[in-house]
Amino acid sequence: MTIDTIDINTIIHNYRPEKRFTLAILQDIQNKFNFIPKEAIFIISDYLKVPASDIYSMATFYKALSLKPKGRHIIKVCNGTACHIRGSNTLINELTDLLNIKPGETTADGLFSVEIVNCLGACALAPVMVVDDKYFGAMTKDKVIEVINEYKEAVENGK
Amino acid sequence: MASRKILVCCGTGCLANNSFDIYTRFLEKLKDTNTEVIPEIKATGCNGLCEKGPVVKILPDEISYFKVKAKDVDEIVSKTILKGEIIDRLLYFDTNSKKKIVSHKDASFYKHQHKIALRNIGEIDPKNIEDYKERNGFEALRKVLFEMTPDEVITEVEKSGLRGRGGAGFPTGSKWRTCSKYDNYPKYVVCNGDEGDPGAFMDRSIMEGDPNTVIEGMIICGYAINSNRGFLYIRDEYQLARENMQTAINNARKHGFLGKNILGSGFDFDLEIVRGGGAFVCGESSALMASIEGNVGEPRAKYIRSVEKGLWDKPTVLNNVETWANIPPIILNGAQWFKQIGTEKNSGTKVFSLVGKVKNTGLVEIPMGTTLRELVFDIGGGIIKDRPFKAAQTGGPSGGCIPAEYLDISLDFDNLSRIGSMMGSGGVIVMDDTTCMVELARYYMEFLSEESCGKCTTCREGINTMLNILNRITLGQGREEDIDLLISLSETIKDASLCGLGKTAPNPVMTTLKYFRDEYMEHIVDKRCPAGVCKNLTSYSIDPDTCIGCSACARKCPVNAIEGELKKPHVIHKDKCIKCGTCFTVCPSGAVKIGGGLIESYNK
Amino acid sequence: MKVIINNIEYEGLPGETLMELAKRNKVNIPNLCHKEGFEGQGRCRLCMVEAREGNKTKIVSACVYPIHDGLEVNTDSEKIRAMRKNIILLLLLKTPNNEYIKKLAEEYDVKAPERYMDFSINENCILCGLCVKACEKMGTSAISLVNRGTGKKVSTPFDDPSKDCIGCGACAQVCPTNAITMTEANGVRTIWNKEFKMVQCSICNKHYTTEEALDFIESRLGNEEEKVCDTCRKKIISEKFKESYKNIFGQP
Repeated sequence: MTIDTIDINTIIHNYRPEKRFTLAILQDIQNKFNFIPKEAIFIISDYLKVPASDIYSMATFYKALSLKPKGRHIIKVCNGTACHIRGSNTLINELTDLLNIKPGETTADGLFSVEIVNCLGACALAPVMVVDDKYFGAMTKDKVIEVINEYKEAVENGK
Repeated sequence: MASRKILVCCGTGCLANNSFDIYTRFLEKLKDTNTEVIPEIKATGCNGLCEKGPVVKILPDEISYFKVKAKDVDEIVSKTILKGEIIDRLLYFDTNSKKKIVSHKDASFYKHQHKIALRNIGEIDPKNIEDYKERNGFEALRKVLFEMTPDEVITEVEKSGLRGRGGAGFPTGSKWRTCSKYDNYPKYVVCNGDEGDPGAFMDRSIMEGDPNTVIEGMIICGYAINSNRGFLYIRDEYQLARENMQTAINNARKHGFLGKNILGSGFDFDLEIVRGGGAFVCGESSALMASIEGNVGEPRAKYIRSVEKGLWDKPTVLNNVETWANIPPIILNGAQWFKQIGTEKNSGTKVFSLVGKVKNTGLVEIPMGTTLRELVFDIGGGIIKDRPFKAAQTGGPSGGCIPAEYLDISLDFDNLSRIGSMMGSGGVIVMDDTTCMVELARYYMEFLSEESCGKCTTCREGINTMLNILNRITLGQGREEDIDLLISLSETIKDASLCGLGKTAPNPVMTTLKYFRDEYMEHIVDKRCPAGVCKNLTSYSIDPDTCIGCSACARKCPVNAIEGELKKPHVIHKDKCIKCGTCFTVCPSGAVKIGGGLIESYNK
Repeated sequence: MKVIINNIEYEGLPGETLMELAKRNKVNIPNLCHKEGFEGQGRCRLCMVEAREGNKTKIVSACVYPIHDGLEVNTDSEKIRAMRKNIILLLLLKTPNNEYIKKLAEEYDVKAPERYMDFSINENCILCGLCVKACEKMGTSAISLVNRGTGKKVSTPFDDPSKDCIGCGACAQVCPTNAITMTEANGVRTIWNKEFKMVQCSICNKHYTTEEALDFIESRLGNEEEKVCDTCRKKIISEKFKESYKNIFGQP
């Protein structure tokens, strides 16, 4: 885990040691590792002179941050109102069946994490699913299968 | 011929449909094309009509193409650009007039609109500051810095009657006025870009499509209240908005609109972006400020307002994105001009995001006071498949449901509050008869229970308890006395919660109970969900007299529960049926009926 | 500054909250998350009262509401009573087995609909946040409120034994519902999943604090502390007091 520590320190030192940068630092660490490693909490605490318990509070409060490793691809299904009334539940059920995980979980092979999110602001395309940063609009059950297969194939082909 | 422009919409909606490929294809294609004048190609922000995207507009010809694909680019260049021919297939089909329309401006979706906050979006490249300057960009700032005193600026905003576009509609000018009176420095200017109401995306669109107007509005406020520093709190999920905003800030610094001694006026102001952490509650101003300070986004009691003690306990003006976008035009055109638009106590326009079961979904900017009917039917083109309009939900989770009897209500802050809903940020979610109002109320309680920060008892435990009650009702375990408990808890949560999020949380339940009580009673007493949404309370059957025997339902049924000979009435085997509702959706003759769902009646 | 509470006039001090004024004058406003010397938090909402300003009546939480001249307060209107009952009901649903909350419910005649009561819930914490405040006041900040919404709870980071925790037990002491488990056996105190070796009182030999807590106080004060428990310390002080009294006034 020593490499992690070096990386964490590099990220932290992009910021001045001011409390207001806590969230930004945590976001950057999340981006780098796909989660917040335990040691990061204490390193940030030392650097910012903020109690570790406060950093931990932040890491558990904000949805953008996760203390558990996430999958290689993060699938977000929008369950905003517009998507909800246009059938986002169908997509969620399909993903649950297809990947055999519940929302909030990661597949055993570490390939996919499924998250339900509240409104991505793409309501005109409802129901919407986002894989990493790519938006898929007007989704149906069949399209979910298509998209997942696409990503699976890409991984198999070593992309 | 005047210089031509090709505007390719690269808002989030169109990008999702690969509009960036269209943009790059145009660039490639035109590089190799031999024309006298090579048109300028621009990737613009959102045009609003996302449903029909990607959108390509050709100026000055005023030709608008919808649902364009990258493979259409060659044809557009060879026919439209080189020969001026119109490609009929890519034109917009207006569902109201049943005609194909060449210029989007003639489409009923756009014709009723009046763009102030969205004035530049779709017309300019948001990353190019020159585009903004060409359309009077930063002229308001120049006017303010060299021709107006801070007091005059505030007076102008006050006179315009502008009310905050983010929620409760507090008068913007009076907020600035109060803040300007405190002699406690530094003061801060904050932009709330943590748009979280499900169904609303106007702030996203403005930040992505015209970031400069937000910046200009904030600098003007800084000058008016004597603040030198501003923060833009932008939602975690809005990556493109953050990118475009950062580019705009960098450009503004380069051009001397931000930083020290702006345009030689002696006034300093700078801006910084703060990325949100993914918490709905941070749209609440005190939680947002806590988040900027590096804390958990818990709201505080606002008995002392943030104009006096806000960010780091210093006087702070916080407005939302759309409000900021209105400032430069107000300064340039004057309060009088703004006041003429809209109604007496609600001047100007409001951007609505029209979504749900409506034909034309997208962003719409209309004068305050436009009726809900005009919005849904004239602009929105009516309900998908011409089903009946049941309700419109406005104001996000803090708002309420408006039933059909109020279709002629004119939309403004006061009217919406009067009927138990609110403007909120302007999301309008249209619902038809296949939306269950009890389930919708349950959905909002679930949303809010996940998003409650958990600080105060009433919001944290109260919403969760209401959710439990509604869960039971949608599962068929409801009792009549549950309604009383829901009403009583609603009152307590409304009165006793700490912040606006909690105080308004019961609204979806209260308004559905007020306008759709019968639907609740059907769930509780008859154990039937008339919309066919609550699966425990739904069964499907085929009316043999109406069934035309087309077998569409049987073919689509995922579990083969439907049988019948062609051209003869079909039957649903209830023991196999999983109540997915596919048959109901696909039946062309309306023969599939929704019945009650508890097991007893089911096997009857 | 004149403030009227339930038709009786009180003199308010500048900067005071309504709760501070009420407590100073022994006016009872029910609350769970307020403690003298701690700033108000506005968490439990039990202290909601009606405040009248001019013609407007609004409902405010006393523990964070700054008083001002001419304020009129009603702590016991029908509306407030109904609200209070609902808030206690919500707490009872969350902690159906907690003795303190059960007593409170009885006192305010709150009965939860049986079908919503789940007695298998073994929760005692009502998230008043006093423990976190106490820990912060100690200067340790070993615990905090984590997660959000209904998942909110108090814990050390990752629920691990925290290097910041000194085992002083201030958190357990301020907890109104006895939700923090602190056990002591054979000179070892266990709290927040961490074991602490205890220190004996040099007078009565009772295990009275932890080594870490004593070190912490010593490092704060910069000198060595006598190992004396609270009971014995009080005794010494009262002895000293008697002594000086005797010196001044002779035999009492």
